[in-house]
Amino acid sequence: MPTSWPIGKRSLREGRSFAGVAEEHLDDVYRYLIYVTGNPQLAEELAAETFERALRRWRRFDPRRASARTWLCQLARTTALDHFRSERRRRRREEAFALETAEAAEAAFGEGLAPELDAALRGLSAAEREVVALRVVLELDGETTARVLGIRPTAVSTRLSRALQKLEERMVSDVRS
Amino acid sequence: MSEARFEDVMRELRAAAPTAPDALRERVRALPQPGARRQLRLRPMLAAAAVIALGIGIGAAAIGGFRDQASGPRSASSGASAARERVLTKKTPQGAFLPRRSFQGLQGNPAQRDFGALSKAAPDALAPGGRLQRYETTMQLRVKDLSEATKSAIRTTRALDGYVASADYGTAGSTGDSTLDLRIPIQRVQQAIASFSELGTILSQHISVADLQAQVDTVDRRLAAARATIARLEAKPSLTPVEQIRLAEAKRTARSLRRSRSGLVQQGTYASVSLLLTTRKAAAEPASPGRFDRFWDNASDILGKELIAVLYALIVIGPFALLAAAALLAERARRRRADHRLLEEAG
Repeated sequence: MPTSWPIGKRSLREGRSFAGVAEEHLDDVYRYLIYVTGNPQLAEELAAETFERALRRWRRFDPRRASARTWLCQLARTTALDHFRSERRRRRREEAFALETAEAAEAAFGEGLAPELDAALRGLSAAEREVVALRVVLELDGETTARVLGIRPTAVSTRLSRALQKLEERMVSDVRS
Repeated sequence: MSEARFEDVMRELRAAAPTAPDALRERVRALPQPGARRQLRLRPMLAAAAVIALGIGIGAAAIGGFRDQASGPRSASSGASAARERVLTKKTPQGAFLPRRSFQGLQGNPAQRDFGALSKAAPDALAPGGRLQRYETTMQLRVKDLSEATKSAIRTTRALDGYVASADYGTAGSTGDSTLDLRIPIQRVQQAIASFSELGTILSQHISVADLQAQVDTVDRRLAAARATIARLEAKPSLTPVEQIRLAEAKRTARSLRRSRSGLVQQGTYASVSLLLTTRKAAAEPASPGRFDRFWDNASDILGKELIAVLYALIVIGPFALLAAAALLAERARRRRADHRLLEEAG
């Protein structure tokens, strides 16, 4: 990413249109949200909302501070968190646990995924899945993942390690059962 | 998880990574393009504000420097300059200011002069139209030979029918000072000052003239009233006890008033001349600051005050700013923990 003074973020941003950025990173945002929510329909809804937010904030996006993908993942995370907060409030009001509604046992995390791996992923929390999505599926480095999650890189490594350990434990227990 | 197993899981997850459904893709493509809109950024605004504030501060200092420079040079604060401010004339051999009306008509040896007789004959002793005045002058001179100059000043004083009220003479090595408190008949003070001016270089001179005539007139009026009372009571063949007391009181008053008049007349008879003779070299006068020096002095004063004001603001605002920053960081940390708990709870 160029950082010399004469090239401002406006010219960097305008070199890439919003539509182009959205098309390029749509799959990444969708994958991330699937791992966070564990629900393809919800992920689709939140992805659309993420890009609507991105459109409104496009002028504030500074490519010198972070890549478009990082920025969109941050927005997607915020969108997901807002959804979870509103769901929690709704649950408290209605004393119903909407996310416990059993969905059809479709492969939420991708077609062709081994059933035990899919089940193990479902057994992880959203926080554990999101770090797996960012580091493994989207292949973001530790620094970038830390920026998306708002934590230190060492914390990212710790969370990923725990998530993978838990994943393995679930897979092993699933195989035994 | 072993390395190999981790690699397998990674490959599997990546291979199976879902793609966005067509409906979502169409929905995102349908979003309108963002319009052109100016955005204000905090950092450039802060940088511009800092530059503007700095420019205003420097400009104010420069304007203050030019404005104060236009009001003229500052007066030096040294003792010599302060003394010079009191000088009424430049150093000239005969540059003293003199009383406009001299007291004329007094003669005789001052040691033997009867001021009481003079006060009684006051109306005749005063020159017609003349007013009684107190004349005081101080002169400071640098002389080459202190001893000779002191003796010369004393000789001159006595030659002019004056006298030395006090003398203080002291030397230390090659330098010395002499302080003479002289009394010169007021009609000869001009001569005295001219003579003293020739003893050396005048360093400073101060003259003070005060009118005493009004006081003398008041005393005369009261004295006349007391005398009239005395004359009236003494003319009576016999006096009542009250009248006797009044007579005694009038005589006491008359005596007191005569003494006061004598004192006033004495003040107006002789001029008081304080002569300060010194052999010390004058301290080098500080060079008058040039225009640039004055400008820089004034501008740096203003800059200094601005820096003090900024420092004061930082000291006052600093703790609050630190508290606000700490509160902000604490809130962010709390929010992060809350988000993580939320994601942990979500399945």
